[in-house]
Amino acid sequence: MGKILMKGNEAIGEAAIRAGCLNYFAYPITPQSEVAEYLSRRMPEVGGVFLQGESEVAVGYMLFGAAGCGARVLTTSSSPGISLMSEAISYISSAELPVVFVNIVRGGPGLGGILPSQADYFQATKGGGHGDYRLLVLAPSGVQEAVDMVMMAFPLAEKYRNPVMILGDGLIGQMMEPVEFSDHLKSEPSNKDDWATNGMDTRNRKERNLVKSLFLDAELLEEHNLVLKAKYDRMKQEEVRYEPYNLETDYRALVVSYGTMSRVCKTAIDNMKAEGIEVAMIRPQTLFPFPIDPIRAAAAKDGCQAAISIELSMGQMVEDVERSVQGKCPVHWHGKAGGEIPTPEEVVDVIKSLIK
Amino acid sequence: MEQSAEELNKIEKKDLFTSGHRACGGCGQALAARLVADASGENTIACVATGCLEVFSSPYPDPSWRIPFLHSLFENAAAVASGVEAAYKALNKGPVNIIAQGGDGSTADIGFQCISGMFERGHNVLYVCYDNEAYMNTGVQRSSFTPLGARTSTTPMGNKTRKKNMPLLAADHGIPYVATATVDDFRDLQRKVKTALSIEGPKYIHILAPCPLGWGHHGELSVQICRLAKDTGIFPIYEIIHGKVSNVRKIPVKVPVEEYLKLQGRFKHLFKKGQPTPEVAEIQEIANQNIERFNL
Repeated sequence: MGKILMKGNEAIGEAAIRAGCLNYFAYPITPQSEVAEYLSRRMPEVGGVFLQGESEVAVGYMLFGAAGCGARVLTTSSSPGISLMSEAISYISSAELPVVFVNIVRGGPGLGGILPSQADYFQATKGGGHGDYRLLVLAPSGVQEAVDMVMMAFPLAEKYRNPVMILGDGLIGQMMEPVEFSDHLKSEPSNKDDWATNGMDTRNRKERNLVKSLFLDAELLEEHNLVLKAKYDRMKQEEVRYEPYNLETDYRALVVSYGTMSRVCKTAIDNMKAEGIEVAMIRPQTLFPFPIDPIRAAAAKDGCQAAISIELSMGQMVEDVERSVQGKCPVHWHGKAGGEIPTPEEVVDVIKSLIK
Repeated sequence: MEQSAEELNKIEKKDLFTSGHRACGGCGQALAARLVADASGENTIACVATGCLEVFSSPYPDPSWRIPFLHSLFENAAAVASGVEAAYKALNKGPVNIIAQGGDGSTADIGFQCISGMFERGHNVLYVCYDNEAYMNTGVQRSSFTPLGARTSTTPMGNKTRKKNMPLLAADHGIPYVATATVDDFRDLQRKVKTALSIEGPKYIHILAPCPLGWGHHGELSVQICRLAKDTGIFPIYEIIHGKVSNVRKIPVKVPVEEYLKLQGRFKHLFKKGQPTPEVAEIQEIANQNIERFNL
């Protein structure tokens, strides 16, 4: 199958089917309702299930139930919907169930707007729900990468028995781009016996699986949290992904940007190159784990006068950029949060104002 | 406050919900919201859930509301209204009419919990549901008010389940007043709003509000479709006052459901080459059950 032109939301739905996910639960919300509309048509064709919940709260626990019996499950939503699911995300994380969440982010806070935004960075990478949990967060910058990340998200969720979130934005959901789909994955997780509830089937194993998150005993809860922490530490070792851009030059500034915003930054960097000004970029593809070491190394390079976090928010990722750079050079922020995307010219002006 | 029959039956035109908003032509909800606002009067606070109504009537600089207006989200108009009512009591202010308003999701799906709580705690609030039988604001996805057979963007083959009966669920909370209404009968709708507001405690009015875009009919047919919804028995008109079904609207001449279904694009697939599919008989059965149950 060659390339086809597809809307981001529909491509995400198709990718889920290719990834062997036959269980999709969702509730409509702009700008991602097309995923539900697409899968309401497609799931019956492949023998899968689409259930429209009565709310995102219900959807969160439909995921809990289905994942708890070993099914590969997906939901898609947008910012306010993810807020409603945040309780379930905390419980799913504690019960160590593999679930894939797609957040097609819109502007906030509150009802905000329906235009693209990256203002859910904190919610995705630092919690949102309660307790010591982490999501593995993937950030696509286009429709093809969103498809690839959906394919990647299910095996990652199953490898770590942890929820994975794909943090897109309204632009990626709504725009059309040519995409290519890879081969189908098998529709059942190979290691589901590790977590699926199986009642009293004790013939083949020593312990029964209980899906739960209550540990009243302090020692047991401590132990449980240490198990979770070990997983998050392993993600930091094994799952950091980023794209370097123009990093091989003698750059004068380092841009850190992801998703839709990073595409504008690339154009800005190309335009400055044509003027003889070299600027480099690191585009995190995983927001947790964050590419701390590559950013520090890049910021420490001789001649790098500034690190600039450019994001569609009022300054969220910049906090992670600061803790990555660790004072090797000054750190700045530039962004917008109303739904407009800064133009390449605006980005060029910002960078020029920060370098000599 | 007691009102005379003459006052109750007067059609109110106070322009408290003004024209110039962004609703589609033929929108049943816009018409209903105006009738409700004008019947309630100036001394009213509207707590409106997210949905078409909020989106088309509230954007700066041309909001339609000439009464205080609070907007929160889908699930919580009833909770916001509970808070408003509690605050008015605590501040010893009032009396004031507090009206929570929402659509399908806000009433029957995500909002059900908050409404149930508001009814059970006994807040002095009128909840008005504008029922357009799907999530119109986000692009016509099914709701639990979507009737059997209707096509929506998430039920492309037609909805497989029956519509949730919200007025009876409200009545079973033991609240003092429940009514159903449609937008073709201004006098009846406004009389019910005024009656509700004269009663202390939680009240519920369920208004059928046709959506030309989502139902697939011409805007000028919205009123006719309401009449057919009543005359087929699909949407019974009644009040439940302190648990007793009263003032049931009798159907003058009973009409087969096909007349109602055929005007709407969302039911088009139920007729193959003009011949009804078996679902039509099932929908007729639902109408027959209503006719029998309420003695229409």
